[in-house]
Amino acid sequence: MYDLFFSKFNEKVSLTSEEEATIKAYLTPKKLRKKQYLLQEGDPCKHIAFVSKGVLREYSVDENGNEHIFQFAPEGWTISDLYSFLTGEAASYNIDAIEDAELVLISKSANEELLKVSPKYETYTRLQLTGAYLAMQKRITSLISLPLDERYTNFISLYPEIVQRVPQHMIASFMGLKPETLSRVRKKIAANK
Amino acid sequence: MPYQKQTIMKIKQTIAVIGATGNMGSAISKSLSKGNYKLLLCANEQDKVQTLVQQIKLQNSSADVEAVDCSTEASWEADIIILALPYEAEKEVAEKIREMANQKIVISIANPLNSSYNGLVTAADTSAAEELQKLLPNSKVIKAFNTTFAADFTTPVIDGKQVDAFVAGNDEDALQTVSELVTTAGFNPIVAGNLSVSRTLESMQLLLIQLGIKYNYNWLAGWKILHH
Repeated sequence: MYDLFFSKFNEKVSLTSEEEATIKAYLTPKKLRKKQYLLQEGDPCKHIAFVSKGVLREYSVDENGNEHIFQFAPEGWTISDLYSFLTGEAASYNIDAIEDAELVLISKSANEELLKVSPKYETYTRLQLTGAYLAMQKRITSLISLPLDERYTNFISLYPEIVQRVPQHMIASFMGLKPETLSRVRKKIAANK
Repeated sequence: MPYQKQTIMKIKQTIAVIGATGNMGSAISKSLSKGNYKLLLCANEQDKVQTLVQQIKLQNSSADVEAVDCSTEASWEADIIILALPYEAEKEVAEKIREMANQKIVISIANPLNSSYNGLVTAADTSAAEELQKLLPNSKVIKAFNTTFAADFTTPVIDGKQVDAFVAGNDEDALQTVSELVTTAGFNPIVAGNLSVSRTLESMQLLLIQLGIKYNYNWLAGWKILHH
């Protein structure tokens, strides 16, 4: 249940079995079904979720009802509305499951306790946040400066297996494109191969 | 500490009711099915659970309720776990759900009565709820629904007064969440204090049961604190 969580953790900071047990006591195992919400816009984000199995997505909905996907989280990824989690204010995003999912949740109080009792958890968190910041920087640069075909190629290298697992319209939404535009880009790339 | 009504969450919380087909389990399940919850009902007898699910859906077609045949699986999916079990059965179930109940709210409804209903089997310095907390050290055990009879759930207002329902536990957020469940069930929630207050709450129900037998309250009775 926690295998992937701790193997990813150990890639960043290596833990003894005692340290692992200490951290484990603060984790919440949670199953989510396809289409079930983990977070709804307007509610406070109470957990950081690590995905052990399945795929989650984080998105906002505009006034016309269009969904704008901000992040996908397949196995090994972490997902939350960080602003809401940290401030306790209402979330601006929804998070739901694209496939049946198994999660490891860290609640706000568990996170605060872990930061106190486990220096290695603090290091892990810092590395996680740094990684997320760099990923965001890349995503913004890609959005504002790269040609579409390159953005799509970047997407595939970032989420290699996502392309097979989620519908095309969600990938278009993640890239900020209309589904027709994405389809044109994919044809162009296929023709150039 | 007064119970403060918070803004209601949009998200549907998942509740596993273990022992859903008993008197209390089915009363709790039926009343919570009216709220914004997904209910996963577990019990040993599958046909009885299925019947209960049908009954609930017949009364309320929009109820989000289903039978799950494994308490471990239901607890894994749940945000909140209600052990609607007699005190003697808690230990065995606690073993099964311990891992999945980590950091989750687990509601103890049990009154540890002896077989002749004239005393408690627990020692004076503990309670059913505290014993459950020892079995589930990383869960947020909350005492609730132990001072309400099953019949009170269909009649939460008796003699013109809304029955009080006491809630005890050590985690503030969990107390809030459970108070909301109590409100959904139609009772007036009163946060009584930390988990050790369960000793008093369990003794209160022993008294009410004894009085009920003596004065023939017919299992429709409850506690109400009168105050200005």
